[in-house]
Amino acid sequence: MDLEFTRVINDTLPLLLEGTKTTIGIAIISIFAGLLVGFLSCLMGMSKNPILKWISKAYVWIIRGTPMIVQAFFVFYAIPQFFPGVTPSPFVSGFITLTLNAGAYLSEIIRGGIQAVPVGQTEAARSLGLSSFKTKIKVVLPQAFKIAIPSMVNQFIITVKDTSILSVISLNEIVNNAKKGIGMNWRFFETYIVVAVFYLIIISALMVLSNYIEKRMNNERKG
Amino acid sequence: MSEKVKVIGLEKHFGDLVVLDGIDLTVEEGEVVCIIGPSGSGKSTFLRCINRLETATGGQIIVDEQEITSKKIDINKARENIGMVFQQFNLFANYTVLENIMLAPVELKKMNKEQAKAKAMELLTRVGLADKADNYPNQLSGGQQQRVAIARSLAMNPDLMLFDEPTSALDPEMVGEVLQVMKELAAGGMTMIVVTHEMGFARDVADRVIFMADGVIVEQGTPEEIFGNPQNQRTKDFLSCVL
Repeated sequence: MDLEFTRVINDTLPLLLEGTKTTIGIAIISIFAGLLVGFLSCLMGMSKNPILKWISKAYVWIIRGTPMIVQAFFVFYAIPQFFPGVTPSPFVSGFITLTLNAGAYLSEIIRGGIQAVPVGQTEAARSLGLSSFKTKIKVVLPQAFKIAIPSMVNQFIITVKDTSILSVISLNEIVNNAKKGIGMNWRFFETYIVVAVFYLIIISALMVLSNYIEKRMNNERKG
Repeated sequence: MSEKVKVIGLEKHFGDLVVLDGIDLTVEEGEVVCIIGPSGSGKSTFLRCINRLETATGGQIIVDEQEITSKKIDINKARENIGMVFQQFNLFANYTVLENIMLAPVELKKMNKEQAKAKAMELLTRVGLADKADNYPNQLSGGQQQRVAIARSLAMNPDLMLFDEPTSALDPEMVGEVLQVMKELAAGGMTMIVVTHEMGFARDVADRVIFMADGVIVEQGTPEEIFGNPQNQRTKDFLSCVL
């Protein structure tokens, strides 16, 4: 077999770039929304209210216990069956799926971060007269996030890659568009090499960014 | 002198384990009380009940005529007047030395930022660490961290200070600098309750020494009485081990 990278790139680059835009776009908004959901779920899980606690536990349990492809099918095909006339877009469904998925994992990551902050930090703040709320905002959470950063970055990378699963609900992200290209030119090898390189570039950029942030936080600490 | 702290029949249980089994104690204003005793005797738990870091199972604690053990009081407000220094220093790792000291006065609206900063620098000068104001806690030695922790407590202008084995986590050569700060504090008239293993400090600084074992006060008296002429056999046994 002769490799025809030049032809494949010429033919499918516009399609793949279009897919890349979708991939990056949905990943970014899902990561931010997932952080919000994860933080809320974490707070609910640590609250004293048994109902809130139960909701958070059930949410994390269901998401972690089922594959994301099934979750995507639920959001895109199954749940809309209860609402005749509503046809959700792949983008919105994909966004909801990714957000709920990332949120559950981030909830556990943030909880781990909070629990890793020594209890003495809380006791010192409370002994000075700070309320439980102020103690969390001013003392515990800043330290918890710092501890959780490496695990959170890891989750962001997984979320970026999980966008490819959304090709099954016809989201036109990189993998789906690559398949379309292959349908026209039948060049599996070259196309998927290009797809792999695209993912590597996106994720490397994310890692460079997170390393930069981590370094900056460490420098800050040195004063 | 007036009563600063009054403890009546204090009990603390952890499940079936009885840690404090009826403690009665009155501390006068300006008095320095040192609590000594074997580990597991309930000293630290007793101290932590006084600012309600531990909730008492039974009995009463009254500080400045406020019943700490009552659910009705605003415990945060009460704690503003009760400073506490911990064995592990517990400086806030995410703040500089200066920010550690300023945090509570500013957050609790006792001072504005300028006032809090001036107060913090004054306290840092007092504990000999003005040059460390912009450092983070992990850049300081244990002794330095503990001096900052004392300054942080003092920033709220408490009139009672609780010390929970303040020198037990320190390297030996750093114990002196922390005890020196505590001595000066005592000389300035601060009411202090100190759980300690530093018998030298207790002898030199305490107005009263309390020996605790198995959740009760076994014996108390002036340092001369406790160290020079202990009456109870348990006190004698303990002192013969540590002195």
